[in-house]
Amino acid sequence: MTDSSPSSLGAKVVVASSSDESHPPENIIDGNTQTFWMSTGLFPQEFIIRFPEPTSISAVTVDSHNVKQLRIEKNTSQNASQFEFVTEKDFEHTEGHLQSNTLSLDGSSAIHLRFIITTGYDYFVSVHRVTVQI
Amino acid sequence: MVKLRARCLLVGDAAVGKSALSHVFHSDGTLFQKNYSMTTGVELLVKCVNIPETSDSVELYITDSAGKETLVEACEKMWGEPSLLCLVFDLTSEQSFANCSRWMERVRGHVQGLQVPGVLVGNKSDLSARREVQTAVAQDWAQSQGLDYHETSAREMENCDAPLLSLARTFQSLYQERLENIQNLSPG
Repeated sequence: MTDSSPSSLGAKVVVASSSDESHPPENIIDGNTQTFWMSTGLFPQEFIIRFPEPTSISAVTVDSHNVKQLRIEKNTSQNASQFEFVTEKDFEHTEGHLQSNTLSLDGSSAIHLRFIITTGYDYFVSVHRVTVQI
Repeated sequence: MVKLRARCLLVGDAAVGKSALSHVFHSDGTLFQKNYSMTTGVELLVKCVNIPETSDSVELYITDSAGKETLVEACEKMWGEPSLLCLVFDLTSEQSFANCSRWMERVRGHVQGLQVPGVLVGNKSDLSARREVQTAVAQDWAQSQGLDYHETSAREMENCDAPLLSLARTFQSLYQERLENIQNLSPG
């Protein structure tokens, strides 16, 4: 099992519900926790990662701040639509350092992974890194 | 450049001028409804505000909620989680000012312990002969609640931009502050 940044697998962020030009959604998948994507107000917030081909994923690790609940959906279609629920997790609040949570995906095959932040601990949340175990 | 989004809850007693105020603000001072029509539910107005001296803007989702006592409970279900608060009273009605404490209590139940930036607005400043609430008194109470105080006249379209503009500005500084915080975090 290897930990990979989605961008090293050729994946892209194809949808993000917030955009601050200085903190673009590409920062989520570059494998670097120093760079991040920031939400710009209101919930839910979401982003969708597209893999170049159907990919079996055993787990994802999300480094973030102020996320209260994250839901992951997936599909195996070329279109970013008709998602099915995969898993959901409540994150612990952290002060002074990032949240790091691993969610098991049980090796399910996906082209699109949709990350929905349903609520946060503050008005704004940030996602610093998503890595996948394949 | 960033576009922020905030839900601004507009509350206060019935007939203090919440809807008039939000329409004047929303229409950039071109629309004052002369005929009173009571809001019985929740009206949503969306308005994008540019923050001076920055390239940032805040899209305000103004949730204008009925003030009438018997309707409040039903409306509260549609408040969601407000990011900003605009509490309005009528300068010619002592009672509408006294009721502001109850409005604050209600709002606190919806913000999950977050300190929501807010303004207190004394409306109908044009009716100076009938004024029942003095500026200093309102200002003191606003301060005790952590609110900024503004006086407006929706009818004369005086100062109606100020309360919501100041809220938008506060929200933008909040974002910048949080951004700085996040940049100083260490990895999990």
